[in-house]
Amino acid sequence: MSVNAKQIQKINYFSKVSEELCSEVAKVVKQKKCSPKTTLLKEGETGDTMLLIFQGQVEVSKNMMVKTSSGFTMSTKSIIRLETTDPSPANKPITAPTVSVVKAPAFGIGEFSLVLDDAKRTSHVTAMTDINYGIIQLEDFSKIVAKHPSIGGSVYFEVAKSAVNNLATATQDISNLTQAFFFALAK
Amino acid sequence: MDTNKKKETKSSSIDDIDKKIYANQVLYDQLHQSLVDETVSKDDGNQKKGKKKKSGVSWVTSFLLKFSNHYQSNELFRYALWGFAAVFFATTILTIIEYPLFSSSVKDDVGDGFMFGGNEPNWVDIFFHTFWWAVVTFTTVGYGDISPETHLGKFLTIIIMILNLGIVTMLTGAVSSVLVAARLKGDDTLDETKFYGHLIIAGWNPAVQSALRLIEANEDSASVVILINETEEEIIKRAVSGFDRLDITHLSGNFTQEGVLKKAFIEECGTFMIVPDESGLLPNEKPDEDKTVLTALTAKSILEDIQVVAYILDEEYISHLHRANVNEIVFPDEHIPHMLAKHVTDPGVPQLFDELITQEKQDKGIQVVSIPKGLVGLTHNKVSAYYKFKHKWLLVGYAIKKAGFSLEEQMGESGSPIIRDMIKEQLDGAGIKLSSDEHVIVEINPDDEYIIDGKHKALVLR
Repeated sequence: MSVNAKQIQKINYFSKVSEELCSEVAKVVKQKKCSPKTTLLKEGETGDTMLLIFQGQVEVSKNMMVKTSSGFTMSTKSIIRLETTDPSPANKPITAPTVSVVKAPAFGIGEFSLVLDDAKRTSHVTAMTDINYGIIQLEDFSKIVAKHPSIGGSVYFEVAKSAVNNLATATQDISNLTQAFFFALAK
Repeated sequence: MDTNKKKETKSSSIDDIDKKIYANQVLYDQLHQSLVDETVSKDDGNQKKGKKKKSGVSWVTSFLLKFSNHYQSNELFRYALWGFAAVFFATTILTIIEYPLFSSSVKDDVGDGFMFGGNEPNWVDIFFHTFWWAVVTFTTVGYGDISPETHLGKFLTIIIMILNLGIVTMLTGAVSSVLVAARLKGDDTLDETKFYGHLIIAGWNPAVQSALRLIEANEDSASVVILINETEEEIIKRAVSGFDRLDITHLSGNFTQEGVLKKAFIEECGTFMIVPDESGLLPNEKPDEDKTVLTALTAKSILEDIQVVAYILDEEYISHLHRANVNEIVFPDEHIPHMLAKHVTDPGVPQLFDELITQEKQDKGIQVVSIPKGLVGLTHNKVSAYYKFKHKWLLVGYAIKKAGFSLEEQMGESGSPIIRDMIKEQLDGAGIKLSSDEHVIVEINPDDEYIIDGKHKALVLR
């Protein structure tokens, strides 16, 4: 079973790419399936692939030092859940979400791998339902970009956009944390 | 001062100044016609109405209201009233039935003395005479100078005397039960209904009496005051005896304890004031200011929203009080260097302070007044013109109730929700509140274009 151009186009990074070029991309995407609880990406690992989630729900989480009653411990904190709407997940998530669920037709995750050679995964991604996904290698993608520079422009633009947005949020987070830090110190 | 200097350097002529004053007056006239005055006059009208109502609601109704309240709440009063009614009833009956008997007895008793009816006793004399007999009988004194003689009169008197036995017993019982109840309750349980928005002063110090006198002078301030300290009852009683408007209760106890503060209804209080406690100290001993900090912490732990004002003598404790989230700190030593220095550099300024601060009359000195609703949203120069021309008051600045800093508000929707939630969760877990309390800041002599909002109150010099 191969991936078709329409599926690729649903992913926001490829939304500006023509259907013709999407079918070029579709050719290099390896279609895969996995069951719930599978870890798709692991924080800290280097990877040169981007995942395209076509169907299902995944949870993004990060390792964090948190304070509990017994002191500081490292724990995995979920940050967000991503769920496809076209098609929507085939089954219910194994655990009810404790964080907000962002819905979109389909997702691309690990998009930094399209930009950096040895991009480290910034968070864990775990399957919450049966997942229908595709893998795209940086090498293959670079080849397509070399052949069709226009695809690079629009995909990198979208990646840059999301990176800039993340950066803005991160800046705010830092400012919030700084304030909270001073607030806690003042007490 | 700055603006004056600027004007001087601009070398504006007297004409210019006149024009400006004229412009101000024009501004005022416009204001006068606008909604401002409307709302103010409405305000005034309301106040007048309120006052009229007070005098208009005739004293009869207010008396009846008090009377019925008393009747319902006071057992003693109820019995006394019934007893009195019974005496009165008996008197009336006896006067009618035994008229001839009592009338001759009046003549015998009074003889040549004064009588309402001249030579012959009239019904007033008889009634009074009978009333005398009734009271003598009812109180079980029984002089025996008069007594009914007819069978009917005696029969009625028997009934009355037997009834009286019950009434007197009940009355005596009521008196003793009320007294015993008051004794059992003691001084430390206060009537809950009275205490709302009251002032609590923890600690005793000569400054308290003077402070109370100033509070007494301002009729708009809360009138119910509770003093908590371990000074002898007699000393406190003597100190607070001269107050008419203030309703002062003394609660003896250790105010660092939660239980004692709760007895003073601290959750409902308007202001909780802590002063250096000199209870039971020898003249050369210093008050223990640790108690002040401890009390502030206790009060804030009972209810974070309590408005706490702390008077401190030792600078060292200021940081502790800040940490205890005290709303206002009074530290008099802070002013001493200024006062001393100003006597040298700007003679007259310390005298001005003295004049302003020690002014005890209610309608003189620096005061905080609320700003009429119609003026909210206008600029400082307009509000200032209003007070200047309408009341001849000098608007010095504003007291602004500023909501404390709130981390939650500050963060709003910015950044990622996960981080915000984590901050809240972790700070909560550490027992750190996400907001600090409301407090009052002042804005002195702002720019003309400064906008006045609803949180402002005017600081005026009257």
